[in-house]
Order: sequence, then C-alpha cells, then structure tokens
Amino acid sequence: MRNLLNFLIKYSTWFVFTFYVLISCILLVKTSDNHYSLYVSSANAIGGAIYRTSSEVTDYFGLLAVNQRLQESNAKLESEVLNLRQQLAQYKVLAQDSTETAESHRFGFIGASVINNSIRHPRNHFTIDRGSIDGVKPGMGVVDQSGIVGIVDATGKNTSRVISVLNQNQHFSAKIKNTPYVGSLTWRGDDPSIAFLEEVPRHAKFHVGDTIVTSGFSTTFPEGIDIGTVMGKVKTSDDTFLILKIRLASNFKTLGTVRVIKDSLKQELDSLNNIGTYE
Amino acid sequence: MDKSVISYILLFVILVLVQALLLNHIVLFNSAVCLAFIYFLIKLPLGMSPNLLLTLGFILGLSVDILSDTPGLNALCCTILASLKKPVFYAYEQHDDQKRNISPSIGTMGFLNFSKYIFSLSAIYCLLSFFVEFVNYSDAVQILIKAGASTAFTFLVILGIDSLIYKN
Repeated sequence: MRNLLNFLIKYSTWFVFTFYVLISCILLVKTSDNHYSLYVSSANAIGGAIYRTSSEVTDYFGLLAVNQRLQESNAKLESEVLNLRQQLAQYKVLAQDSTETAESHRFGFIGASVINNSIRHPRNHFTIDRGSIDGVKPGMGVVDQSGIVGIVDATGKNTSRVISVLNQNQHFSAKIKNTPYVGSLTWRGDDPSIAFLEEVPRHAKFHVGDTIVTSGFSTTFPEGIDIGTVMGKVKTSDDTFLILKIRLASNFKTLGTVRVIKDSLKQELDSLNNIGTYE
Repeated sequence: MDKSVISYILLFVILVLVQALLLNHIVLFNSAVCLAFIYFLIKLPLGMSPNLLLTLGFILGLSVDILSDTPGLNALCCTILASLKKPVFYAYEQHDDQKRNISPSIGTMGFLNFSKYIFSLSAIYCLLSFFVEFVNYSDAVQILIKAGASTAFTFLVILGIDSLIYKN
C-alpha cells in the first residue's frame, strides 16, 4: 500500500497531465453532443453575460452600415408587400373562401442580435442574444436581411449558439431558383464569402449570376430564402454530379441583426419523418 | 492572500477577456491570429509545483475555449505548453539557485534570452493548436503558413506587453 502511494505521488505529474489531456481530447472529439455542449459553449450563463455586456458597447460602432442595409431591405419588402396585396386582391375575387390556409401562418420570426461571431475556424459558430425564454430551440434556422446564416445548435436561458454557414461539418439543402435542381451547400474554409453547391445533377441548367435559394426540404428553412449567386462551375473528375461555386449573399464579417425562423409545423413534420426511419 | 496571487488572478481574467472580446476577431492577412493569452503561462513563477502549473494551464485553455466555441482545443494545447515551459526555459538559461523561483520577464532573463524563450513557446503553441484544429480541413503547407504568421504576431504582442510592464 505504502509503495503504491509512493508510486502515485512520485509520478503524480504524469497522472495529472494524462488526465487533462484526456478530458481535452474527449471535448475535442465529442462536439456534436447537444446536451452537454451548452456548458462548454459561449451560450452558457457566464459567456452569454460577457458577450451581452460587450455587445452593448460595440453595437454602436456599426450602426450606420446596419441602418443602410435595413433601409434597403425595408424598401424591398415594402414593394413586395404592395405586389402581394395586389395579387391577393385578385385571388380573393376568384376564390372567396380559400385565402386563409395553415400554410400562410406557418412561419414566424424571432428577432435577435449577434453578440459574438467568428469566421477564422474551420467550424465556426456565433452567439445570439435570444434563448429558450424567447422560444428559441435547437434546430431552428437563422437568417439575416440578405439570406441564410445558420442553424441554432444549443440554447441557454438568454443566449443561443448558432452553427454558422461557415462550418465545414454543416450542410444545407439548396437549389437553383425557379428550377428543380437541388444540391448540398458546403463551406470549404478560407474565404468567408464563398461556398460550394455540391451534388447538383449533371444535366442541371444554370447561368453565372443565377440565385441559389433554400430548397424547403427540411423544416429548418422555408423554401425560397436567398443563399447566394452562382459564380461558376468547379472542375471535378466526378461524372454524375456538378459542383457550383457560390458567392454568399450574407456578409459574415459584419453580422448584426438576425431573425430566428419558427416553424409551427416543425413538430408534426419531424415526427412524420421519424415514423419513416423506424421501418 | 499574497499580493502576487491577486495580480496573477487579475492577469488571468484580463488576458482571457482581451482574447475573447478583441484578439479573436483580429485576423491579419487572412491567416495571422494573436494568441496572447498564453502570456499568463509564460509569466507564472518557475518554482511553482508542476501539478498546479498543469491545472492552471488547463483552466486557462478551457476558459478561452468556452468563450470562443472551440471545446478542448486550447485546453489541450495549454496543458501541453505548461508541461514544456520548464524545459524550454532551461534551454536558454543556466540552472541557478537565485533564479529558481523567478517569474520570467525581460527584467529577470535579459532581452535576448526572454525573446528566445517566448518565441519558442509561441511557436510551439501556434503549431500545436493550428495542427490540431485544421488537420482534417487543410493541407500541411497552409497550416504551416497560418501557424508561422500567428507565431510572429503572438510573439510581437507578448514582447510588447512585457516591455510595457517592465518599464513601469
């Protein structure tokens, strides 16, 4: 017994070292586990409080640019509202009792501010100042005024961590606007303004400058939200699929205000999907 | 409590906050990042027990990890850096009883030796952290460029901080 104790004390440094290295490696490898990842993320109570306080100060610096972008998007939305109102009036005449459908109230938004953001890692996350109290849940999509920016992955009480589009482990279902050609949006690191649309069918027709939008195949994003524009084709050895280079619509260096998308049919649709996988 | 203990705690908090709120967001030439929070490990006195040194290294890394959403990355690298601190120090300094419990700085080591010491530690840290983080995502040349640029940036900032403190 005494020998054992002496041994442990003599080599304690090695044990301590191995212990810490092991813990670090476990944390490094198990990043996808939602449940505990909250505690080692910037969305926990302390991290959230620190970033909230700092963003109260730094938010003022970018106000001019944010204001300008909001005005632009406001103008765009206003014209859209006018158009839709006109269309609605026309349809109302045609079909008087079918204008109120479940689909028209399916999606809601929760406004939020980005309080911490990173673009230099291969797997980037950012933190927003809305949490479970405000109704944010893991799996919800996040957009800014220009297009999609990420998916919520851990929610604290007042803050949430979001997986950025600039995350090499996260793929998004996307398609070329006004066509049925769907692909998988992937970021490959390095340039925060460029992503790639992979697994596009070989026969898909596209032009440089075409818009890429969400496919609506998941409950995370509704169909037709902007993602970016086509810059060109990437040469590959694969004969069955195309890879397109995409310029992302959102500027990830200056994320300011974002909106979290609430899908009222999410639970129903997800449970339906689960039934399929039990077979 | 000892006065120096309080100043070390203060240094810890300031470095972690500065790293999370300021330095993490500065990327020069799309590759150089400043990882100046390792200054805390560099400054810890040499006579400190190895177990305490490793523990402090681990906590420092974990704090930065939590605030920058890189779980485990900095904790691992800081633990390894803490274990290498003493060997690196004695690579440039003689074993000397008077210097057994000093806190490394320009004042205690001289400018040249201190520069070598922090350059070695910065280089070890940057190489280690960039390889661990990017090993599945980038090729070796890119990682080396990033690590090299970050080493230079980190080294200069730490040297700057220390010479400011030394003059006072």
